[in-house]
Amino acid sequence: MKVIVIGGGWSGCAAALEAKKCGADVLLIEKTDMLLGLGNVGGIMRNNGRYTAAQEMIALGGGDLFELTDKCARHRNVEFPGHKHATLYDVIKMEPTVRRYLLERNINMMFETRVVDVETIGKCIKGIYLHDGTYIEGDVFIETTGSTGPMGNCLRYGKGCSMCILRCPSYGPRISISKRAGVEDLLGMRGDDSYGAMSGSCKLNKESLSNEIREKLEKDGVYIVEIPKEDVNLEKLNIKVCQQYALKEFAENIVLLDTGHAKLMTSYYPLEKLRKIKGFENVRFEDPYSGGKANSIRYLSMAPRDNTMKVTGIENLFVGGEKSGLFVGHTEAIVTGTLAGYNAVRWGLGLKPIQLPTSLAVGDIIAYENDMKESVEGLRKRYTFAGASYFERMKELNLYTINNDIIEKRAKTLMMDGFFNEKLI
Amino acid sequence: MFRYVDCIDAGSVYCPCELATKGECIICSQLHGKEFCDCLNWKGTCIYQEYIWNGGKSNKTREFRKYSIINKEYLRDDILKLDIKVTKSLSRNLNNLGSFVFLKNEKDIDPYSIPISILDSDVVNNVISVVIKKQGIKSKAIFECEKEILVKGPYWNGIQGQKYLKELKNSSCLILCRGIASAPAVLAAKKIIKNNNEVYVMLDRGRSRENFAKPYFISLGCNVEDVSFLDYSGELKEQYKFEIEKLLKKWNFKTVLSAGSDEFHVKMINFIYNIDKYINFATVNNTTMCCGEGICGSCIIKGKNNEKIRACKQQYDPKEVFLRGISK
Ligand SMILES: Cc1cc2nc3c(=O)[nH]c(=O)nc-3n(C[C@H](O)[C@H](O)[C@H](O)COP(=O)(O)OP(=O)(O)OC[C@H]3O[C@@H](n4cnc5c(N)ncnc54)[C@H](O)[C@@H]3O)c2cc1C
Ligand code: FES
Repeated sequence: MKVIVIGGGWSGCAAALEAKKCGADVLLIEKTDMLLGLGNVGGIMRNNGRYTAAQEMIALGGGDLFELTDKCARHRNVEFPGHKHATLYDVIKMEPTVRRYLLERNINMMFETRVVDVETIGKCIKGIYLHDGTYIEGDVFIETTGSTGPMGNCLRYGKGCSMCILRCPSYGPRISISKRAGVEDLLGMRGDDSYGAMSGSCKLNKESLSNEIREKLEKDGVYIVEIPKEDVNLEKLNIKVCQQYALKEFAENIVLLDTGHAKLMTSYYPLEKLRKIKGFENVRFEDPYSGGKANSIRYLSMAPRDNTMKVTGIENLFVGGEKSGLFVGHTEAIVTGTLAGYNAVRWGLGLKPIQLPTSLAVGDIIAYENDMKESVEGLRKRYTFAGASYFERMKELNLYTINNDIIEKRAKTLMMDGFFNEKLI
Repeated sequence: MFRYVDCIDAGSVYCPCELATKGECIICSQLHGKEFCDCLNWKGTCIYQEYIWNGGKSNKTREFRKYSIINKEYLRDDILKLDIKVTKSLSRNLNNLGSFVFLKNEKDIDPYSIPISILDSDVVNNVISVVIKKQGIKSKAIFECEKEILVKGPYWNGIQGQKYLKELKNSSCLILCRGIASAPAVLAAKKIIKNNNEVYVMLDRGRSRENFAKPYFISLGCNVEDVSFLDYSGELKEQYKFEIEKLLKKWNFKTVLSAGSDEFHVKMINFIYNIDKYINFATVNNTTMCCGEGICGSCIIKGKNNEKIRACKQQYDPKEVFLRGISK
């Protein structure tokens, strides 16, 4: 059985890996020259409820990628405003590590290759077309193209292309594969009723900071300094994707995290103003390169799905990551991607795809996000284990814990320990 | 369904064009009445971005300029060859597959302007050569030009299916020529040979003793065979059916360029498709053009799904337009 995964971000990597573990023949297609997509500019894991989700996946046998992010950690147990016990992976080591891991497992990968269209028979996808017209057939398809860009969206709904890691001018735009297959996209909204949301952080070049800041950052993993009163801009909180970081503290302070680069927890920051701050006199942006002006726009391309991650209206297309909902984060992308990979293989075998139990946080978030998307209010929210409304819900439902034994016991009671490790074919 | 769609001007200095300002851009969904990105064919620039940065205006269109005719030669009493001295940049821009210009006699009014393919562009001496057949009122007017002529260009959409010719490397190509349409095939052959391909030309001499393009093809190093494709009822002669089939087998051509009228394209493409449906086709663009800018609509043809194609700007897959009665 041939499973084709489109888009090599965290969710695409997770889907490809899981489909391979289940025994399928897997082809992963990525438009740029690197895996991980936005994962190359992130790095925060295990903060707040993400800890629970990561441990649940490990208990379910779908924890390979979490173990890799732990292995590439620069800092563990970091605290910053509103967030506890975070792990920060090294964004420079992460991609090659995952790439080697997938290669060792004989997952076929194509880079600098963009999927632009599909061939369908009735409600089934028969094959996909690459940007040069090449046609490739498959049995089941997984779309994990994320929701970032392309340039025209970043311009219309943001402040223009800021030259982010996805590098549209070089590798071409994201295409909504589900839309090409005939299913309309759902759109995320902002507080002011406009569409999309702006990515919430940028990377600064660490060498361009003063020695003092760099040393402190490398020792503690975090560095916080007050923003001059005249430059505080609370409005910026409304436009950003990551509602878990949309706290007043982030508007009044510069929060830096050490992920290999210095991760600046704000959407963009005019360079001139940034350089007024002590120790920032020589600072420059690392990603996006034009972080002084803008950042990428996201959530303009979600496919309607059920709780097995299958796209509604297409027989053999599954989705994960940002393509599958208003999910923010690597953890969320890996969770949804893994389930998509697993269910794609089940579908290919003629078995019914499954839902994850809502007594686990990883199952609950998938079902909850889907319910919430029905309302306009819900479309204005983002869903992550790390904060905002969903973390509150985790606490209310007693899903949040950092006790590994409890989590293991949950999986055992459900008789789901090692679930994702089983071979289906 | 994959669509072979391209705008020949996308990403060039002439993009965004007038179509963008009116919500009719061929490539960009945001400049075609939609609210979100859905690029049909990415050429490395975002047309929407260029448009907004340009203050919501199109880039300037091409204009007529006056140039001198340095040589006027009758190849037959109704076939005229002109060598025109142009600027360095124009000759360089016209040294491309599918290049053409609009020509006009200075004393005539605008509707006289006529699209003419480039036979050759000499980028050292900045001289372009064109061949014109006396057909109607517009071509007759060009025959009256003596020392000077108005030229508007560069345009590039004189050949459809350019992608298939451009991607040929270390391979071979068959060119089937008949009549005046041989002129763009000469420049195409020059470009194909530059990519280290062998070119085989079957050249119909039509009513003449010899096709005017023959010496050009020979000097480029093409294999040239004189033929007379059609019988008295306009059908492809058995002899050449047999000959083409033999050549396809022997040379293993991936691409065939049909350089004749639209009826000629239909005949050739349908015949060859029946032998090998994986062969790609390029065709000389014969549509009637008036403005060349996608505005006037005189070049509009219907595609496979009845969609409108502005053939002066848009690239299509010739199979989608000329294959008849065969379901793909
Ligand atoms: C600046 C920034 C910082 C972040 N920091 C963190 C953090 O610290 N912690 C955290 O948990 N989350 C963070 N996030 C959010 C998180 O990165 C994303 O939510 C998550 O990684 C999304 O994964 P994905 O696989 O769904 O999509 P993406 O990462 O967007 O991956 C999609 C992939 O598909 C490819 N693609 C798109 N179209 C095509 C096509 N047509 N053909 C082939 N390939 C295609 C793209 O190139 C890309 O590689 C951050 C996001 C940003 C922008
Ligand atoms: S020639 Fe005027 S629209 Fe094409």
